[in-house]
Amino acid sequence: MKPRLMMLAAALTLLAAPAFAKPVVGQAAPDFSVTDASGKTQSLSAYKGKTVVLEWNNPECPFVRKHYGAGNMQKQQVEAASEGVVWLTVNSGAAGKQGHLDASEAKAYVAKVGGKESAYLLDADGKVGHAYDAKTTPHMYVIDKDGTLRYMGGIDSIASTDVDDIPKATQYVRQALSELASGKTVSVTTSEPYGCSVKYGS
Amino acid sequence: MMDKNPEFVLRTLALAMMIAAPLAVQAKSHEADHVTVELISEHTALVPGQSMQIGLLLRHEPHWHTYWINPGDSGLPTTLDFTLPQGFKTQDIAWPLPKRFDVGGLYNFGYEGETLLPVAIEVPADARPGTSVQIAVVAKWLVCREECIPGKASLALDLPIVAAPAKPDQRWTAQFARARLEQPQATAWKSEAHIAGDRITIALSGPGLPDTKGLDAFVEERKLVDNKPPQIRRDGDALVVEAAKSEYFGTSPATFDLVVTAPSAAGIRGWRVRVPLLDGSAGASAPAR
Repeated sequence: MKPRLMMLAAALTLLAAPAFAKPVVGQAAPDFSVTDASGKTQSLSAYKGKTVVLEWNNPECPFVRKHYGAGNMQKQQVEAASEGVVWLTVNSGAAGKQGHLDASEAKAYVAKVGGKESAYLLDADGKVGHAYDAKTTPHMYVIDKDGTLRYMGGIDSIASTDVDDIPKATQYVRQALSELASGKTVSVTTSEPYGCSVKYGS
Repeated sequence: MMDKNPEFVLRTLALAMMIAAPLAVQAKSHEADHVTVELISEHTALVPGQSMQIGLLLRHEPHWHTYWINPGDSGLPTTLDFTLPQGFKTQDIAWPLPKRFDVGGLYNFGYEGETLLPVAIEVPADARPGTSVQIAVVAKWLVCREECIPGKASLALDLPIVAAPAKPDQRWTAQFARARLEQPQATAWKSEAHIAGDRITIALSGPGLPDTKGLDAFVEERKLVDNKPPQIRRDGDALVVEAAKSEYFGTSPATFDLVVTAPSAAGIRGWRVRVPLLDGSAGASAPAR
């Protein structure tokens, strides 16, 4: 096959990705369209050319509180922003479930914890969550400038609710972002996420 | 004002008592959010040179659960960090048979109701009868319904050393008896697992295989199989457990531990099998590592 044809074939493969396939590292990350806390529509495709981090969030989950309480999540959001990385926090908690937020509650939460994400996405129907097969809060995904999934899994390497474990753990998202920024291959592409289950609706 | 607020008075009193309480003798049971925990001993005393049973008794509020060694899609296993007198040793938690919880399409493995996590304690031969020792533990757990709350308690148990035999502690006889029934039993089954694509198929054969009705199967190791209920079927004399490979699957272990559970009159019974894993994707001709 000639290079140009190969590229075409690759592009067609991306387009042909089935709607509810599980995301696979090294393949195109699922696109989505969802409203954020400011009422703006957010889609992955709009950020082509930028690295994107997705963070699944439930404000009341102890694992989320561990990382926000210690400032670990906000710090990584600031670092990412300074490198031009787009950070999207996603809440897939269904209405009536723990951690579900409406737009104004989401704004208040981000202000309260000092969140520095680019946007807070309201995914109460779980569409984005299911497209990414997000299981826990937090559950993290790193997508490169071409829209290819480069990392999925835990925020770090120590599954616990103890703040004291944060400095001892390998911060997988930070590591992946720094490797991508310096043109290296991401060394840890997948880890088992740990946290509370995402509170999807039935 | 204060006499109008008896709760305040009681709380202050309780607080004062807690502060004044001698370090060694603590309230035995610790009431935490949605679960009460207690460090208990099967016998009223410990005997030099013997391996004896202690354990963490967890009493969950209805609908709340804590976790098995492999918690499943979310959650955390309970941990026990013992501080023991010189020469004493504890074994790892002898995890009772788990239950599978469906939490909105995600699966967790663990315990509800009342559960004892038994631990064997080895008493040194030179422990002196007539003395007493303190067994202390820091227990950490995550208790969940749909939402989760982490818990932690420092518990202690003072036990005398006696020359054999030690008397069973009547308060806990039923709990330790049940814990024995809820231990996975060793079996003489033959077992073998194969990976083909994204499926792992485990074949069990041998005497005393259970009927498939109500069977469930769990893998102790994380990141090996998917946490959804596996397919379990009879294939001639063999019992076949088929599950999707975990999406976090890394390198193939040489063996893994499978726990099979079945309903019984007493609630639940089960077995443990160490299964050799033959990774087809590594090449059929590859010798066992």
